[in-house]
Amino acid sequence: MLFDRRDALKALGLAPLALAAGRTFAAPDKTAADAEAERVKVITLVQPAVAAVCFYGGQVCGSGVVISDDGYCLTNFHVVQPTGSVMQCGLADGKLYDSVLVGQDRVGDVALVKLLPKKDGDKFPFVKLGDSDTVEVGDWSLAMGNPFGLALDFTPTVTYGLISGVKRYQPPEGKGTLEYTDCIQFDTSINPGNSGGPLFNMKGELIGINGRGSFEKRGRVNSGVGYAISINQIKNFLAHMKAGIDTDHATLGARVSTAGEEAGTLDNLVFSQIQDDSDAARRGLKPQDQLVAFAGRRMDSTNQFKNVLGIYPMGWRLPLRYKAAGQGATKETLVRLLGNMDKEVEREDQPNDKPPPGPRPNQPPPNPAAAKSAKSPAAKMVEAKKGYANFYFNRQETKRLLAAFKKAHGEATAFTGNWKAEGDMKLADGRAGELKLEWIDDKEGFTEVKLARGNIAPDALKPLAPDIPPADRFLPQGSGGLLSALFQFKLFFSKLDAAGGFKSNDSINPGFTHGGMEPVYPIDADMKVKVGEELTKSRIDCEVIRTAVDNYVTKWYFHPKDATLVGWETTFVKEEDPCEVYACDHKDVNGVKLPHCLIVRWGDKVYATLTIKSYTLGKK
Amino acid sequence: MRTLLLLLLLAAPAVAADPFGKVAAQVNEKCVKIFGAGGFRGATNYSTGVLVSADGHFVTIASQTLDTSELIVHLHDGRRMKAVVLATEPELDIALCYIRLEGKRDILKEPNGLDLAHFDIAEAAKRKPAEAGDWVLAHSNLFEIAMRDEPLSVMQGSITGVSKLHGKRGIFDFPYTGDVYVVDAITNGPGAGGGPLTTRKGELLGLIGREIKNGQSETWINYAIPVFAEVEIKEDKDKLTKVSIPQFVELAKQGKYKTRPKLELGKGPGGYTGIKFVPNVLDRTPPYVDEVTPGSPAAKAGIQVNDLVSFIDGEPIYSIKTYLAVMSRTQPGGTVRMEVRRGDNLQSVEIVLGEWPKGTLKPAAAKPDEKK
Repeated sequence: MLFDRRDALKALGLAPLALAAGRTFAAPDKTAADAEAERVKVITLVQPAVAAVCFYGGQVCGSGVVISDDGYCLTNFHVVQPTGSVMQCGLADGKLYDSVLVGQDRVGDVALVKLLPKKDGDKFPFVKLGDSDTVEVGDWSLAMGNPFGLALDFTPTVTYGLISGVKRYQPPEGKGTLEYTDCIQFDTSINPGNSGGPLFNMKGELIGINGRGSFEKRGRVNSGVGYAISINQIKNFLAHMKAGIDTDHATLGARVSTAGEEAGTLDNLVFSQIQDDSDAARRGLKPQDQLVAFAGRRMDSTNQFKNVLGIYPMGWRLPLRYKAAGQGATKETLVRLLGNMDKEVEREDQPNDKPPPGPRPNQPPPNPAAAKSAKSPAAKMVEAKKGYANFYFNRQETKRLLAAFKKAHGEATAFTGNWKAEGDMKLADGRAGELKLEWIDDKEGFTEVKLARGNIAPDALKPLAPDIPPADRFLPQGSGGLLSALFQFKLFFSKLDAAGGFKSNDSINPGFTHGGMEPVYPIDADMKVKVGEELTKSRIDCEVIRTAVDNYVTKWYFHPKDATLVGWETTFVKEEDPCEVYACDHKDVNGVKLPHCLIVRWGDKVYATLTIKSYTLGKK
Repeated sequence: MRTLLLLLLLAAPAVAADPFGKVAAQVNEKCVKIFGAGGFRGATNYSTGVLVSADGHFVTIASQTLDTSELIVHLHDGRRMKAVVLATEPELDIALCYIRLEGKRDILKEPNGLDLAHFDIAEAAKRKPAEAGDWVLAHSNLFEIAMRDEPLSVMQGSITGVSKLHGKRGIFDFPYTGDVYVVDAITNGPGAGGGPLTTRKGELLGLIGREIKNGQSETWINYAIPVFAEVEIKEDKDKLTKVSIPQFVELAKQGKYKTRPKLELGKGPGGYTGIKFVPNVLDRTPPYVDEVTPGSPAAKAGIQVNDLVSFIDGEPIYSIKTYLAVMSRTQPGGTVRMEVRRGDNLQSVEIVLGEWPKGTLKPAAAKPDEKK
């Protein structure tokens, strides 16, 4: 049954007004009343978690929303940019909570802050994250926040409107940052101060963070066209932000353009340029190849490509389907994404940059309460470091993940002597033989890794010793550096922290840091590289530890559920593919759970499976 | 409390779970995204059109977007086509265009093989007009958000009145003088013009109008020209003829509608400085410099962002509006002396005015480039 708005007028006792216009009316419709009751219920439910993000002292700068009971709160980067690392957030309970910037995504215009409870252990009200891929044009939505800094007691303003478009692309504004990709467009009213606030579906699930509108000559007030960063994009960056990282978005290292501008035809997307040092180039993609799908989405236009690319952090590995020029069948491969912040940083010094877009109150003078905020307990949670929004939280996350890892695997730190492992080794080409693996420390303290298969002369490498022939680092041949990777393996298990063995001169990766979350595509012991749907099915979004020693950079992947080691990959030179090792069959050895099956991949080829029957862990 | 309730109710949908996705998708198939001329004078070079025949006739507002021989439309499925204007009627502010396929010589006679979803505009005009309080959906490509197969933006609102407009656009009077649907949602953003205003079932009510401001309140108006619109036009000196939208469409389709000349234009923008101001939202928005085009006369003279223009040649400047008025009396090549407030000081600068560079957004009072 359809609801007539005139019924509502009557229900409110305004019928005489309408009757004067010569109309007659039916009784108010029940569905309308139900819908209203439902809506009020949803608003009541989510309202306590909506935050006003303020300068320290309480001057409102924007909005935010709490997403966990321990006080993590999402907002826009352009909201916390002026507040600095220590700020306050007001909730609908009328209280201001000291808060600290945790992580940020400058390109995506998202920031994660943490509200500190008034009393240790106090829980915050929070909202549930929705699935923004299910949002459709024509759905209703609720925007909440603190437009114009209206509510002095921080009770959020609610506006209600229609989803006008999904998967929209809005190009970067202001120093090349604030690029809204795959975003949600709505006619729900947002105004200065709404920035960073939540967009809800009618179930009260968070589907986006409001941050931008189209204005042109209409002035920076509601223009009927607002945009929210989709929550699914934010989910991809959330672990990075929790780890305090100043996250970067990605490029494929390849340019695409539409082929054939003939009228009336549907165009194909083809690669026009491919960077030599990109993973795309290493995977054999060539100019004029057609891009068919990326990250599981069909690609028909450059906007779509920019959209999908924009929702992933740098370093992620994603499936790409393409059709080689002049060939009929499509192929799928995994590509690693390059960062794109370098060029943004270069741009930063350019004059005449436009101010960041988006609703925000008139900019107040630079942080008015900086001195006061220094006394806040939040100020003790700030540690500046290049590449990080707040390195303090990277330490926290590293600690937490390591504790979980120790719980899952136990500690091998007592076993700092020589190690041995025996079993079988089967190469992808069918050759197989008995496996003998050794980690032996020499007199100078350099560890040598030795790997023998059957009767063939063993390969050996002392990765940290001086004057290593460069090619040796990639031994055995075809593995991409398994000896180097196995060296990291023992170092990781027997040292387990930065002080132990990992150290580098790289300021961003000083040896042992949390790297957020990345998708990993483990392969089975049958050594088939699975492609297509299977690839996406095997994907595990793992927590990452990044270690560095000498010039080796290793990413360690941990299962999100129980922090068991899923695998690791070791890179010696950026321009080469890393040696990937997938770990399975974790079994107890002297109280330590060690993998008894290692599958090694390099580039897009599986190298070998190592089945380990026994380990011998020596003590010093 | 009552106010709050009222607001909530007025915005209430029929049922919370009554999404308009299906209607939006159906209407979207019957529309085209138009890309044409413009980019100067704050005028957009994109707009929206409504298909009125299976073989690709579409109506849109008679905006300057159409003033090009390179008119392009994007169909809902992403196909990109050329189009031509068959006829326009300024009094209805409407144009009928036609998708032109390559290789067709006589586009009016040769069938083009297209089979597009479309509105029956004659039927739509016969339907009972909408009334104040009725729910409507506005579908358009405002702000050029959609390209290719990306769907139009959808907005919801209700009709607040069916009335005549005394709007103005820039300094020009609005040509259409009949009743319009006034809508309570911000439907008439840049490029929305020509998009369909529909009932929430997707029935065509009218075409979203061009961007105009109310002459009295200086506020932007959200309205649509109803499909039932009918105007009296002066064909010869005295003879008045009535034309409705369906009649116009029908005659134009057959190539029988005589396009009448465009309306007069206003006076020029004066000399070029390269100063861009903060958005002119208020009647008296203070002329704060928002941007100075590098290399422009103002940049050479040392005008800086955040300067407040206070005097030009001794005349006090209170607002962007007075600035534009004073500047419109100047000429390229001339010199003006400006006093600008920078911080606590008043600075005096001399600016040698230049020619407007090609493609620059000229102020509303500017004269468009001469058409060749």
